[in-house]
Amino acid sequence: MREILRSPPGIAGTVLLMLVAGAVLLGPWIAPYDPQAFHTTVRLQGPSWAHLLGTDQFGRDLLSRLLHGARSTIAFGLGATALGVAAGAVIGVTAGVVGGWVDSVIMRILDGLLAVPDLLFTLLIVTVLGGGTGHAMLAVAVAFTPGMARIARSSVLSIRTREYVLAAVARGESRGYIIAREVIPNAVGPIIVEATIRVSFAIMIGATLGFLGLGAQPPSTEWGLMVAEARQFMFRNPWCVAVPGVAIAAAALGFNLFGDALRDSLDPRRRR
Amino acid sequence: MTDVPVLDVRDYSLRYATTAGPFDALRSVDLTVRRGRTLGLVGESGSGKTSLAWAIMRYLPANATELSGSIRLSGEDLRATSAREILGIRGRRISMVFQDPSTSLNPTIRLGDQLAEVLVRHRGLSPRAALEEGTALLARTGIARPADMMRRFPHEASGGEKQRVVIATAIACNPELIVFDEPTTALDIVTARQILDLFTRLREETGVAALYISHDLGLVSRIADEVAVIHRGEIVEQGACRDIFRAPARDYTRDLMAAVPRPDVRIGTPDPDPAAPALIDLSGVNVRYGEPSPLMRLLRPSRTVVQGARDVSFAVRPGELLGVVGESGSGKSTIAKVLAGLQDFSGTVAFGGRRFAGRKAFDREYRRRVQIVFQHPDGSLNPRQRVGEILSRPLKLYGLVPAAGLDQKIADLLTKVRLPPDFATRYPHQLSGGEKQRVAIARAFAAEPDLVICDEITSSLDVSVQAAVARLLVALQRETGTACVFITHDLNLVRQLAHRIVVMHRGDLVDQFATGDARAPDRHPYTRTLLDAVPTLVMAET
Repeated sequence: MREILRSPPGIAGTVLLMLVAGAVLLGPWIAPYDPQAFHTTVRLQGPSWAHLLGTDQFGRDLLSRLLHGARSTIAFGLGATALGVAAGAVIGVTAGVVGGWVDSVIMRILDGLLAVPDLLFTLLIVTVLGGGTGHAMLAVAVAFTPGMARIARSSVLSIRTREYVLAAVARGESRGYIIAREVIPNAVGPIIVEATIRVSFAIMIGATLGFLGLGAQPPSTEWGLMVAEARQFMFRNPWCVAVPGVAIAAAALGFNLFGDALRDSLDPRRRR
Repeated sequence: MTDVPVLDVRDYSLRYATTAGPFDALRSVDLTVRRGRTLGLVGESGSGKTSLAWAIMRYLPANATELSGSIRLSGEDLRATSAREILGIRGRRISMVFQDPSTSLNPTIRLGDQLAEVLVRHRGLSPRAALEEGTALLARTGIARPADMMRRFPHEASGGEKQRVVIATAIACNPELIVFDEPTTALDIVTARQILDLFTRLREETGVAALYISHDLGLVSRIADEVAVIHRGEIVEQGACRDIFRAPARDYTRDLMAAVPRPDVRIGTPDPDPAAPALIDLSGVNVRYGEPSPLMRLLRPSRTVVQGARDVSFAVRPGELLGVVGESGSGKSTIAKVLAGLQDFSGTVAFGGRRFAGRKAFDREYRRRVQIVFQHPDGSLNPRQRVGEILSRPLKLYGLVPAAGLDQKIADLLTKVRLPPDFATRYPHQLSGGEKQRVAIARAFAAEPDLVICDEITSSLDVSVQAAVARLLVALQRETGTACVFITHDLNLVRQLAHRIVVMHRGDLVDQFATGDARAPDRHPYTRTLLDAVPTLVMAET
């Protein structure tokens, strides 16, 4: 952790993530208004003392909506990444450990899937499964799986030929012990780091799906959906698009910077 | 007479800023190299010898601070020169030859172009003239078909050929000084010897001054006029080569010299009973790498198979230490992997009255009785496990001690390899290279084996640590009566330790003899080449 705070990007990422975490944990309590309450007299207003970030087309307080929406937006990013990483890690570790033709077949299939862009892949899955937050999360997780599997596999392959693993093989250790105690603990570093960076992608894809009306449904306060709903009124009050937009960007940037700093701090070659 | 030395380093100190605080890499270093002379700079890893080379080349990392002193090249202070002027000095007046020719050449540029580049840049030759001059330079370094070599890419040349190209580049502009940073360490014994001969010849021809950095005292004693011994950033002793090696004044130099393996001083255990039945007996062991599958054979029938070991047969008696020597790629590590059950093979291995016909036939009993210690102590210990856990594995796996006695047994093992028992709670990265290798040895001996395979266990260690590890191994052998297959390229060391030696060359076992007969006239010609190539410490008899 101290290593992360040594670099300016690491500090920036940590600060952004703390802001986001504050919104996720305390959002509903510190929000000044009910996020769904209509204030019909002050529709589409810019920032004022009564409404710090302005109001949307129904006169709902944007700050309150933002604070309430943090939870579902971040939960979506974390949930989708966790599912994708778990599935990818299992597939990747299996391919890396078993090797031979199993590895070849798995990797060629994954190569095919990787050729499809993440967003397109997600859209395809959502189209098949139908919309909604749960399905969107599943779709993002599935889209992430091939990439994570690749990383997990290459990480396992580089560890598998280390001499301490050979020493365990020469000792006659069981395969389970070698994988669980010798290979995995040393292979997780790159997987964890990639996962933190992926959270930002998940948030962005989630927001995109919300924007397209395929993720969270109104009156949810999910940030992507907030942008989508406010789109028509963008020219009358740019704040109602900018506020959730900036929030998405800040959260994504926070995870990205933090992930980069985490990667640097875990890599002994980058340490001085 | 105004005899200005080519290189004159005075009171030079260098400090690195690290996350662990400031680190003094060089402390008040004084060095002088005169025209046509070679100064050997000897030190262990981390002693600051490479930092000094970079300081002379004016190529220091951003976290380095120069605290004091001057570096003068023929009287001109290099610390005072601007970055622009340095570009004109590097390559033209000072050049450098690096340790590993496979990484110091750009793999995407033809050798000839890399050599000609220096000539175009510093001597202003036209590209065509530079190529011609380059060919002539290559011819001087003893390359048989220089014009042909100029057109090749680095991967099409051998290590020795590449190092010749690097040396040709270094002498291309008739520099005043050449810095050699361990130029033979990455090469095979025989090739290294040829490069050394080339170095000596070129020095006589060109009269260039040289700073020769090395950890190998034996080698430096052969080629240097003067020697400086560096220890933790300080020059502890400096003087004429002959004087220092005859009568070292400082304890550190004396310890360093005592650690250099000398084939005439035996430290091994007494010879085992020659009549005893063999403990392990290899017969007709073959290893083939890259064997194509039946499908691949149909698709690409011409695919080449590399023969790692060809029809290798030898035996080891109980308590014996068998040395296996050869260059890299000779198949000695392949044999280690076969014995440790890490490599598929054909042929038979007979051990303890049982015969095994392949890797899969080895059972847990065999694997307990035959243990392996690897070359790199950094790689052979799991970085996420504490030393105690690492040592407990073989004990638990083979059920050698009851759970209650585990901690005591680990403490005993650590004491046995001369490490404090509280090391059990440390992680490998908190240990030095020598300490890590001791832990690896302790792990092998924890299984109470009958045979320990040591695959180059001393080659990545410093000379002084090397000697201590070798002595430890012999002491353990004496205590436990364990036999050992000691694989190394260090002929001096193996002649101190081994009872018998086998020599491997390109997968074949070419020679097999008792250590005392190493110089006997009926040795295989290749054995003789190897023995002649190794530099031993030149020392006046005391």
